[in-house]
Amino acid sequence: MCPIMNHTISKQIFRAYDIRGLYNKDISPDVFYKIGLAAGTYVKQTMKGTQIVVGSDIRQSSPPLVYAFIAGVTATGVHIQHTGTTSFGQTLFTGGKLHADLIAFVTASHLPPEWNGIKFYYGDGVGFPEDNLMAIRDLVLGDTFNFASWSMIGQVKSVDARIDYKNFFTSHFTFKKKLKVALDCGGGSMTLSAPEIFTAVGLQVIPVYCDPDPTFSKRPSDPKPKNLTVLVDAVKNNSCDFGVAFDGDGDRAVIVDNTGQILSADQTGILLGKYGLKKNKGTIIVNVECSKSIKEQLEPLGFRIKQIQVGHTFLTLEAKQEHALLGIESSGHLILPEYFLFDDAIVVPLKIAEIIEQEKKPFHDLVTIIPTYPTHKEEIECPDEIKFDVIHRLTQQIVKEFEQVNTMDGVRVDFKDGWVLIRASNTSPIIRLTTEADTDTILQELTTKFMTKTHEIIQDMKTTA
Amino acid sequence: MTRLFGTNGIRGVVNQDMNGELALDIGKAWGTYLKQTIPTPKCAIGTDARLSNHLLKSAITAGFLSTGCDVEDIGLVPTPTLQYTVKKKQLDAGVIITASHNPPQFNGIKGVADDGTELSKDVEEAIEQIYFSQQYALTDWRSVGTFSTWNGAIDLYSKGILSTVDTNRIKKCRFSIVLDCGNGVGSLVAPLILKKLGCRITELNCKPDGTFPGRHSEPIPENLTELMQTVPEVGASLGVGLDGDADRAIFIDEKGTYIWGDKSLSLVGKYITREKRGGLTVTPVTTSTCFEDVIRQNKGSVVYTKVGSPIVARAMIEKHAVFGGEENGGLIFPEFQYCRDSAMSLVKILEILAKEQKSLSELIAEIPSYEMLKTKIVCPNEKKERVMTQVTEQMKQSKDVLTIDRTDGVKLYMKDGWVLMRPSGTEPIFRVYVESKEKQRTGQLAKFYKNLVESLIEHT
Repeated sequence: MCPIMNHTISKQIFRAYDIRGLYNKDISPDVFYKIGLAAGTYVKQTMKGTQIVVGSDIRQSSPPLVYAFIAGVTATGVHIQHTGTTSFGQTLFTGGKLHADLIAFVTASHLPPEWNGIKFYYGDGVGFPEDNLMAIRDLVLGDTFNFASWSMIGQVKSVDARIDYKNFFTSHFTFKKKLKVALDCGGGSMTLSAPEIFTAVGLQVIPVYCDPDPTFSKRPSDPKPKNLTVLVDAVKNNSCDFGVAFDGDGDRAVIVDNTGQILSADQTGILLGKYGLKKNKGTIIVNVECSKSIKEQLEPLGFRIKQIQVGHTFLTLEAKQEHALLGIESSGHLILPEYFLFDDAIVVPLKIAEIIEQEKKPFHDLVTIIPTYPTHKEEIECPDEIKFDVIHRLTQQIVKEFEQVNTMDGVRVDFKDGWVLIRASNTSPIIRLTTEADTDTILQELTTKFMTKTHEIIQDMKTTA
Repeated sequence: MTRLFGTNGIRGVVNQDMNGELALDIGKAWGTYLKQTIPTPKCAIGTDARLSNHLLKSAITAGFLSTGCDVEDIGLVPTPTLQYTVKKKQLDAGVIITASHNPPQFNGIKGVADDGTELSKDVEEAIEQIYFSQQYALTDWRSVGTFSTWNGAIDLYSKGILSTVDTNRIKKCRFSIVLDCGNGVGSLVAPLILKKLGCRITELNCKPDGTFPGRHSEPIPENLTELMQTVPEVGASLGVGLDGDADRAIFIDEKGTYIWGDKSLSLVGKYITREKRGGLTVTPVTTSTCFEDVIRQNKGSVVYTKVGSPIVARAMIEKHAVFGGEENGGLIFPEFQYCRDSAMSLVKILEILAKEQKSLSELIAEIPSYEMLKTKIVCPNEKKERVMTQVTEQMKQSKDVLTIDRTDGVKLYMKDGWVLMRPSGTEPIFRVYVESKEKQRTGQLAKFYKNLVESLIEHT
């Protein structure tokens, strides 16, 4: 039994791209009723819309949250089409098909099972931007909701999210060769779609954690390399052509080649760009954290590389505006707008399978010819109150000192043999420093140099404050 | 203590006093109550056709799930269908989202216990206490309840209804029936059952619609004029009008005459006690004496209760009654289930017609007739109790009054009639019921007691 929840809603649950919290601590049916009221009010007043498509991942706490959300939305007079328990892609696809004004998915992505949350997308698959999410936050915190009169209350319809979605893939992918794929759903929501779809398109599936496991008791839902040992073994022991692991809700996929080597999102992105796109004229969107090898590999082929700030909402929005062919986030969100604007991870392994079939080579041979560079990530502690000012001061200094400086998201400096990116975390009292260079020595030099600069400014600002 | 539950559940205007937050908290309170004795309670939830049904259903479902109760959604169903499902599937509770016959801006929550009857006062009070204290037993993320849907309820219920009557006998009669479901959820069951009984049906307002475009959903004479006209027009054997959630049925005879609920209650009571050669029946103190007359003719007995169908149902269970019901068309058949059930009333009336080989007007003519008058007197709530005590004291002296009954308000029995004054639970009024054999006498009695009560109120 839990104590009664504190009725004041924490501002902290509203993050840049989604709402997240611990069940019964930060979030509860009460909170989700209000989020539903706010989302409904927003759709009705700001968007002049009429319907929200909602679904949830397989987390155990999803049902009370999703029904409370539905109650809130309908109370504002906005209609609901409810997909039920699905993978991320199933609900997003269905929302697009139904021309939803807003798509809501109840999930805490890769976080442990005691977490839950909700994220929003527009009907066309573009992520809901931070400013608009903050507008919803303000409605929740200000208790300012637009209730409908009895005759205008929203209605609820249950919709099937499985059949049309599956048919979409069987009509886009057919394999002549029976490729063998080790499939690691981590017991998450992808168990509801990936095994069925992989089989339907003609792949031979070696299942790894393909039964729903809402407590993530067998594998944490974050597909970090250290959580993928079972998948790697499955690939090797079964002589698979490749392997894939998904996160809890299915918006990120990690690819493993036939030798068991785990690919970074950047490597996967390069392979998709190099072999998977039908034409080699057009834009590829990458964020400022991505490896320089993307540009080195793909620009010579004729693609235009556009660098953007971090965040999958920007990725989807830019991809739409630029009519991009591919979008790469180094955190693992990859989009292929040929299929969807949103980051449904299932398209990644299907496209990889297509590449392997088309290139007629062991997958590792394709992976190994792409150079990788040493990288380093550092987290520097810095109080929330000053972290953005620190970045600002640092930027002013760096702009004077160096030539190739990019300030769209934190500050990035490019050199001929490496680069450094320094950003304040949106959610924690941390400044992140990322470096990549041609050699370990240069990497070390760059890291030390910019670490020192950052520390100096933090120290300076702390003392003046 | 402030009450949430009225005579028939919790009611209110949607998004005002009946809103998502309240429904969510009721779910949590009720779930907390169930969890006190049952490790994993299972509840069925259903709704009538109102526009706000999804809003309230979703909210109360979230509340139940958050306390670790499993919820099974059985969709759009009549109230008795939900009650039957709870009993048959051996669930621990049932919730029906309905405001019965109230206007469309209203909605409500009605609770059902594990035996299919409406919640007892004790349970309602226990839930209320949890609600007001906000001491909810919310479970952690591991143990929240599971949600499922089941669409077999109407089939289960229809089969159950048909198993209680002599279907072959009814089929042979090829009854022609005008059915007015008032755009309520009865539309999903009544036509189905009548078709299975070989009836020819003329449907009025038989499409569920939460705006109630056809008529107001209370089956009182002014709302059933179309039905009354249609029955003789099409030459039907009878007409039947249901309320919004299809627990009550009102009948129209073949001539188009409205039959008051007392009369249909008496007709069915007469038939059942005759078949069973007596037996105990239960009805509230407001029911006409014609009911007691027919029951006594068959050597049966009548137990009077306070007003409220859950009270009647519970008394029937306790006393092993053979039949019971209210004067508003809510009939309770213990061989089927302990709740008001319009579909059961309908098939039973058809069975009676089939076996008796008489028209409905002929059968009703055999029921004794009384003249009843209902009126109300304004009285401040704080004076009600004292006024009733004073009436009781004064009438003890009166030689006219044979018995004084305090079951619900004050009921005075005279040689040739009775008078009942009941304080309303929700408004500052007394409802006054007067009945005797003669219209003139009823009028006299009504005038006398109205004057008496008004002067007592004035001098209290």
